[in-house]
Amino acid sequence: MDFAASLKLIAPELLMSVSGLVLLLVSAWVGDKASRAISVAAAVVLGACFFLVAPAVCSGASGPDTLAFGGQFSADAFAGLAKLMIFAAGGAALVIAPAFFERFNAMRAEYPVLILFAVLGMSIMVSARDLITLYIGLELNSLAAYVLAAFLRTDDRSAEAGLKYFVLGALASGILLFGMSLTYGFTGTTSFEGIRVALNGEMAMGALFGLIFMLAGLAFKISAVPFHMWTPDVYEGAPTPVTAFFASAPKVAALALTMRVTLEAFGAQDDAWRQIVIFAAIASIVIGALGAIGQSNLKRLLAYSSINNVGFILIGLAAGTPAGASAMLVYLAIYVAMTVGGFVAVLMLKDENGNSVEAIADIAGLSRTRPALAFCLMLVMFSLAGIPPLFGFWGKFVVFQAAVNAGFVALAAIGIAASVIGAFYYIKVVKVMYFDEPADVVKGESDWAHWALLAISALAISPLGYLLTPWLGNLADKAAAVLFLGV
Amino acid sequence: MSSILIIVFLPLLASAIAGLGNRALGNTVAKSVTTAGLFISCGLSWPIFISFLTGAAEPTVVPVLQWVHSGNMTFDWALRVDTLTAIMLVVITSVSALVHLYSWGYMSDDPDQPRFFSYLSLFTFAMLMLVTADNLVQMFFGWEGVGLASYLLIGFWFKKPSAGAAAIKAFVVNRVGDLGFMLGIFGTFLVFQTTSIPEILAAAPALKGASTIGFLGMRFDTLTILCLLLFIGAMGKSAQLGLHTWLPDAMEGPTPVSALIHAATMVTAGVFMVCRLSPMFQAAPDALTVVTFIGAATCFFAATVGTTQWDIKRVIAYSTCSQLGYMFFAAGVGAYGAAMFHLFTHAFFKALLFLGAGSVIHAMHHEQDMRYYGNLRKHIPITFWAMMAGTLAITGVGILGVFGFAGFYSKDSILEAAFASGTEMGRTAFWLGAFAALLTSFYSWRLMFLTFWGKPRWSQSEHIQHAVHDEHGHADHGHDHAHDDHHSHGEHDDGTAGYHPHESPWVMLTPLIILSVGAVFAGFVFSPYFIDSEHFWQGAIYYNEHLIHSMHGVPLWVKLTATAVMLIGFVVAWFAYIKDTSIPRKFVDQFRNLHAFLYNKWYFDELYNLIFVKPAFWLGRQLWLKGDVGLIDRFGPNGAAWVVEKGAVVARKVQSGYLYSYALVMLLGLVAAISWMMVQ
Amino acid sequence: MIGIEHYVVVSSILFVLGVLGIFLNRKNVIVILMAIELILLAVNINLVAFSAFLGDLTGQIFAMFVLTVAAGEAAIGLAILVIYFRGRGTIAVDDVNRMKG
Repeated sequence: MDFAASLKLIAPELLMSVSGLVLLLVSAWVGDKASRAISVAAAVVLGACFFLVAPAVCSGASGPDTLAFGGQFSADAFAGLAKLMIFAAGGAALVIAPAFFERFNAMRAEYPVLILFAVLGMSIMVSARDLITLYIGLELNSLAAYVLAAFLRTDDRSAEAGLKYFVLGALASGILLFGMSLTYGFTGTTSFEGIRVALNGEMAMGALFGLIFMLAGLAFKISAVPFHMWTPDVYEGAPTPVTAFFASAPKVAALALTMRVTLEAFGAQDDAWRQIVIFAAIASIVIGALGAIGQSNLKRLLAYSSINNVGFILIGLAAGTPAGASAMLVYLAIYVAMTVGGFVAVLMLKDENGNSVEAIADIAGLSRTRPALAFCLMLVMFSLAGIPPLFGFWGKFVVFQAAVNAGFVALAAIGIAASVIGAFYYIKVVKVMYFDEPADVVKGESDWAHWALLAISALAISPLGYLLTPWLGNLADKAAAVLFLGV
Repeated sequence: MSSILIIVFLPLLASAIAGLGNRALGNTVAKSVTTAGLFISCGLSWPIFISFLTGAAEPTVVPVLQWVHSGNMTFDWALRVDTLTAIMLVVITSVSALVHLYSWGYMSDDPDQPRFFSYLSLFTFAMLMLVTADNLVQMFFGWEGVGLASYLLIGFWFKKPSAGAAAIKAFVVNRVGDLGFMLGIFGTFLVFQTTSIPEILAAAPALKGASTIGFLGMRFDTLTILCLLLFIGAMGKSAQLGLHTWLPDAMEGPTPVSALIHAATMVTAGVFMVCRLSPMFQAAPDALTVVTFIGAATCFFAATVGTTQWDIKRVIAYSTCSQLGYMFFAAGVGAYGAAMFHLFTHAFFKALLFLGAGSVIHAMHHEQDMRYYGNLRKHIPITFWAMMAGTLAITGVGILGVFGFAGFYSKDSILEAAFASGTEMGRTAFWLGAFAALLTSFYSWRLMFLTFWGKPRWSQSEHIQHAVHDEHGHADHGHDHAHDDHHSHGEHDDGTAGYHPHESPWVMLTPLIILSVGAVFAGFVFSPYFIDSEHFWQGAIYYNEHLIHSMHGVPLWVKLTATAVMLIGFVVAWFAYIKDTSIPRKFVDQFRNLHAFLYNKWYFDELYNLIFVKPAFWLGRQLWLKGDVGLIDRFGPNGAAWVVEKGAVVARKVQSGYLYSYALVMLLGLVAAISWMMVQ
Repeated sequence: MIGIEHYVVVSSILFVLGVLGIFLNRKNVIVILMAIELILLAVNINLVAFSAFLGDLTGQIFAMFVLTVAAGEAAIGLAILVIYFRGRGTIAVDDVNRMKG
């Protein structure tokens, strides 16, 4: 594997880092005047990366040809599929931001650059086949994310969200790093393949500690219980476009990374991590659902909803089969569409002064004042609840199917039972919108970009989404197969 | 013989049209379609019956559809036509057609006529399915179908709470019987591996006393237990002692319904079933003894209660119950022909009595209490003569060897058969039956005397007062109401309250006249066939040659007993209700306890309330409050909701907003995971 | 003779100290930043010790990366803290709870 071939494999990441640096310089020179132009440029870069990655996904690339820099980085179909979702979510975060920040006079040129670097970090995360690569990608993403959370500098809640995210994120990074150091110490290598080979057989106590610490660190990133505590606060406090970004792209990246670590690096020791994953899955579903009940803030509600959804996705991981991994990817794709749609809808709720409306009580009777918006939000809510015939049901279905086929009938049964609790608060939102007396708070006009994104998301999660299932399932199957090559 | 298909399914079609069309088609269409359908069925039924009378017809089975083929369980929809079926066909279709016609008049003011006629036709269809059944399952289908139609029709005026209650009572009491019937069908299939009636009957005699079966942990004779289970079903449907309580209450339904379902047809289904399965019952002598006893006891019990009731329909209802008892003990002593004959004649004269009573009620503005009748024979003469024909028939008036009304032949032959059977139970039944005949005569004449003779006593009746009030209100429009009341009360002290009963319209009188002809001549014409002709039956029932022979050889006093007791009953009634109307009051004062006992129907309802209903309610309340609310709801839905609610509160409390508590939770999770893995 | 286990014990103690520093401290957010540095220090000791013990350079390279990232992390942390202080006028840990539930 020569150097040029490696560079070719990391072409999307190269493009992002180079253009990110250039755009950073531009923003420093030109200033906030150029923020829209830089946003467009960043979106174009993400679009270009999307098409750079797509062929590998479609062809189901795997094997030694996809490995760059001596196996530290892999541009395989699995990473590719995750990247496609990440790029799409990142692009959405770029598109929805200007209309939001300009209201506060806070549309700064750094925002698209930070998004670009965060996406770059995630892109490296999902391609990582070495602990060092993993760490670099993770930190690149995290550091950008901390800043993004506190991006609305004048807003107390935004600053507090940034602070909380930073402190807890740093703690999680520390835990993850400690786990990695132990894993390195007890396996003698940082490469996933090496770890897998080294752990074939009885597992040393130190390596077990390493595994648990690493899982804990990753659980923070995917906001699985009990490492979820930051999520509601950060989601509520961060500016809504940033929250939309947090809820979609890093979830995909962290979950993909978790899949790589558990199924590739620790694939031979699945008995060691399965019980933890099962616990985290059930706990996430239950706590996510319980926490959402009684929330009065839509963003907070969606935060708990994302915890809840992560629980369902982890059921696929607990199955530990190619079908389970494929189901996770399918669920993630649908989840990204639902989340983006949900947060865009929240973003479009503005009062007559253009200020954000986040309280659930304020959207009472929305169906009468803004029927289209209410309908889309209803689609999102029903889809999140997993009510057929909306597409959200399909994600839950494939995950449960994978769990049942892998013999985890009880887990699937608990998941299904707990999803009933979840349905309660989703439906409550719909009830407030459709059956309560109009509160007449939502009056502001919406940006065309928001409408466009909302329409795309709504279309994707509508029953029409089922037309995508063969295509999506095929891609996910090919991508998931990559993780099980070593088995 | 494919006309049987039309006979059976035309009422179903008519019912569907009337029921589904309902108000969209309107009253006239619904009434015309159903009534025309029934008259066509009736017109096609009589030729079949006559061809059996002349011996021209053979028993046939007309297949309709495949039904169930599962393992060795096979049964199809098929219509069996033999003598027994032919008798039932003419009874059902004739009475049903006449009742349809009668209802044109009786129900003319009702807003829900399409529904009523649809139910009536539906009932007729189900009853026809029952009597044409070739296997027990199809019979059960018809059995439940008539039960459903009966329920719907009893509760036809569902806005009346008592009607709803009566409908539920009929349904629930019938369930008890149906459970027995079902167990009987299951057991029959278990023993014979078939539900086909001919096959069962062919196989049954060989099993007589030869096998035992485990039931409720004990061993019993197979056929005895099967027959008793089936008989429990018959008891429920035919309102025999113990399961009879629903029948008097069923009078809450419209009177045409009482005539069709609760007198002529449905309640005789039990008798029909016993006769249909007569070879099987004949092979179970112990079961027959029970049938005889229950029949005789019911016959006696219902007659005693009938003597004290005031409601004209209830008197006839208890009379029905009593007559059904006759049929059962006839079957019990082996005289199935006599049982069927009484069923046949009874259908005509009892339908006649009910429709006549309906006509009286119609004339008396829905007053049903005989205490407020009197002297009606001059006002509604046609109804009077029709009722008279019915009464003569039910009391069995006739001169031996010359001519008699319908009941004379059928009831006499039953009593003779009971005497001739020679068994102890047969003799007991004979004496109980004879006494019941006395009572029958008494209460029938009591009804006649109270209704048609004496002085008018109408002014006491609220219904009549309402009617009068309404009439005057219309006539003296604009007058002061108080003055109006005073005026009407003061002027008429002859007991009429100024009310003028009107004879019913001809649509109601025509059925009365036709049925009167049946009540007068049915016995005389058909007696030779039903009782004495084995050829007529063609093996449709078990024909006991020996019993028929000894029936003809009973002493003369036995033959005259029925006539004698009939006369005694008539005389007693004449003395008490015409000659000296103070006698009943004196009698009641003298035998207060006995009267109360009879008037309250032997306290059966109270007893059942105490034994079954109250404990059932108690149990239900316990299960509801302790079981459902206390356990299932508490730990189920409500409990889950409570846990979720509290869990949500806890989840939000834990989310305190403090950095260190978040970090603590993370650390606790980490420690928990490590501990768990160490323990493993 | 000092073996690998000694290093691991030391780093573990440092790690635990760092973690305790995060949630036992209720006064100042700066202390939390220091605690985080302590955790990263523990990791680095681990990495370098293992590297030396295994005779493998990867651990030391990893440690260099961690050091670099830690520097960036500290910078960003302080920057956020400054923003926070500007808005709220306090950096007491107990005051950082506007959002909860």
